[in-house]
Amino acid sequence: MAPPERCSVCRQTFFCGRGHVYSRKHQRQLKVALERLLPQVEAARKALRAAQVERYVPDHERCCWCLCCGCEVRKHLSHGNLTVLHGGLLEHLASPEHKKATNRFWWENKGEFQMKEKFLISPQDYARFKKSMVKSLDSYEEKEDEVIKEMAAQIREVEHSRQEMVRSVLEPQTVPDPEEGSSAPGSWKGTNSQVASTSQQPSYVDLPPAPELDWMETGQPLTFIGHQDTPGIGNIHSGATPPWMVQDEDCSSGNQQIGPSYEEFLKEKEKQKLKKLPPDRVGANFDHNSSTSAGWLPSFGRVWNNGRRWQSRHQFKTEAAARNKQQLHKKKS
Amino acid sequence: MATIYLVDVDQTPVYTHYFDISYIPSTVFFFNGQHMKVDYGSPDHTKFVGSFKTKQDFIDLIEVIYRGAMRGKLIVQSPIDPKNIPKYDLLYQDI
Repeated sequence: MAPPERCSVCRQTFFCGRGHVYSRKHQRQLKVALERLLPQVEAARKALRAAQVERYVPDHERCCWCLCCGCEVRKHLSHGNLTVLHGGLLEHLASPEHKKATNRFWWENKGEFQMKEKFLISPQDYARFKKSMVKSLDSYEEKEDEVIKEMAAQIREVEHSRQEMVRSVLEPQTVPDPEEGSSAPGSWKGTNSQVASTSQQPSYVDLPPAPELDWMETGQPLTFIGHQDTPGIGNIHSGATPPWMVQDEDCSSGNQQIGPSYEEFLKEKEKQKLKKLPPDRVGANFDHNSSTSAGWLPSFGRVWNNGRRWQSRHQFKTEAAARNKQQLHKKKS
Repeated sequence: MATIYLVDVDQTPVYTHYFDISYIPSTVFFFNGQHMKVDYGSPDHTKFVGSFKTKQDFIDLIEVIYRGAMRGKLIVQSPIDPKNIPKYDLLYQDI
């Protein structure tokens, strides 16, 4: 048995020496692995002639696995906030170490000879790439400058239009509104003068609010009634207590009892009691605590009776009536 | 059903000051004694500044406030088209 050897392509350990590299499975695995790597190499080769420069994006940190060297390689070349696409991979493919590793890899795994050339980049090609890279870097810088100039022109235009609008608005504002009183025109002019002063300084940051212009345009009668600003007292924006939640001075918390008083509670209890049916009544909700006399439960039935209940009840009632009559007689006499 | 009260700002200085009513007309909404805030897209969520463009806007706003309040919300999103909401300048004193 040959010593165990691990094949990185098949990711398996074999005990039959290097014979397995000629097997179909190994060749198939090798082909698949190379096919995985090939598109990236082809894309890099395309960039040889026309290098592309782009703004740096974290996606440019991506790496690619070089099968021949068995190491991870940075795909793109980044410096500062610019990236040259496929720069890293091209650099690696042109390096002599990669050439050596590729040769060894092909020898060990018995790959197809024609395929090997695809994964190598000659130093001449790499020099050509470097030239094109320099050219594209220059053109990228020029483009960036143009964009910046355009943006500056746009901002200047907007500032100019804003100033025009402010000037046109200042002119009709000569007659003060009788409703507003003295405070409003003063404050309006005050803000306007401040606005005019800020417009002198070139500000690239935030443009003054467009709402200002819309208010003029709508013509809706919004009356300004003065700033509601007393420094001592807070308002809704500062989170003060609302006026309806403020405790009155004459009401102390001890006096204010919520809910029924004790007398009212007792009255309720009485009412609840009355809600119950008379305690002497037989049936549901019978108050078992109430006392009952001996003759409470009218049992009409005798012991040895037969027949219906009404018969015995009838009998009982007539006897009771006769008994009552007798008692009445006795009392009279 | 909503009850609408027309309040004169000169007769309620305390509330005018509390709600910071600088422009009239301003509409403040309440539900069960709780002040309801609405995000109109304007800087102030505590009241509606200006007049409503159409009656339907007003009705829709009340309905949205009602639905939100019944669900226990304290602030709701206004259904009114932003171009129908009057724009005003939030003037800060001495700035």
